Amino acid sequence: MSRIDCQQVLEQIELYLDGELSGGLRAEIEEHLGRCAPCMDHSDFQRRLKELLRARCGCDEVPSHLLDRIRALIAETHGPPPG
Amino acid sequence: MARRPTAPPDDPAVRERFEREAMPLLPGLYSAALRMTRNPADAEDLVQETYLRAFRGFGGFEEGTNLRAWMYRILTNTFINAYRKRQREPVTVPDEDIEDWYLYDKLGEAGVEASAESAVLERLPDEDVRRALEALPDGFRLAVLLADVEGFSYKEIAEIMGIPIGTVMSRLHRGRKALEKALWETVRERGLVAD
Repeated sequence: MSRIDCQQVLEQIELYLDGELSGGLRAEIEEHLGRCAPCMDHSDFQRRLKELLRARCGCDEVPSHLLDRIRALIAETHGPPPG
Repeated sequence: MARRPTAPPDDPAVRERFEREAMPLLPGLYSAALRMTRNPADAEDLVQETYLRAFRGFGGFEEGTNLRAWMYRILTNTFINAYRKRQREPVTVPDEDIEDWYLYDKLGEAGVEASAESAVLERLPDEDVRRALEALPDGFRLAVLLADVEGFSYKEIAEIMGIPIGTVMSRLHRGRKALEKALWETVRERGLVAD
């Protein structure tokens, strides 16, 4: 099996971390990361950056009235809910 | 926003299914709407309009297909049609060359060891991270938001935004680099690394 080098791994890291690589290439990158500390550091950093965004930008508190307002808006335009 | 009169989905079962399946998506949709519109009042309007449109179309929505992606598509279209028109802002990120691994390298140059680099980011206040994302132009902000915050695949993002997968990849790459640059500026402003 031909081994991919660091440059090739770093070029594919974005796709790798986004879960967009097919099995063969993904396995090669995983194998490389397992034995190459600098590439693993790069990969970890990029992964944590993604996690940071998810943790900080996706958990806003929903205003307490919003759900009721949506239900009311639907009832207003389409009639009250059944039952 | 113009509202076309359409036949209401009269079937009580449809209404119950909408309540059961679509309403739990509200927290994610509201957060995404906030990142899109950048302010709570517009985000509420956007989410309300999204749910109203989704409800109108829900009778024809095929059970078992991807409801979450469908709802985000409505959110995205509603945002683009209603809000983007009135904004005057650049439609692309600056074309200056931002190197790959920009933030990683900048932190390294500032003397932060690789093992401690992500710890520096953890010290950024939530508001700074949000502001950095919100500063990206629409097309780039939406791609990064849908991929990194909402976890959609490239194929789903292409369908949600109505653009080819290649464009998704390029916007993600360039958007992330611009975001890294903004985060680096914030790290320096906050004094999280020695100048």
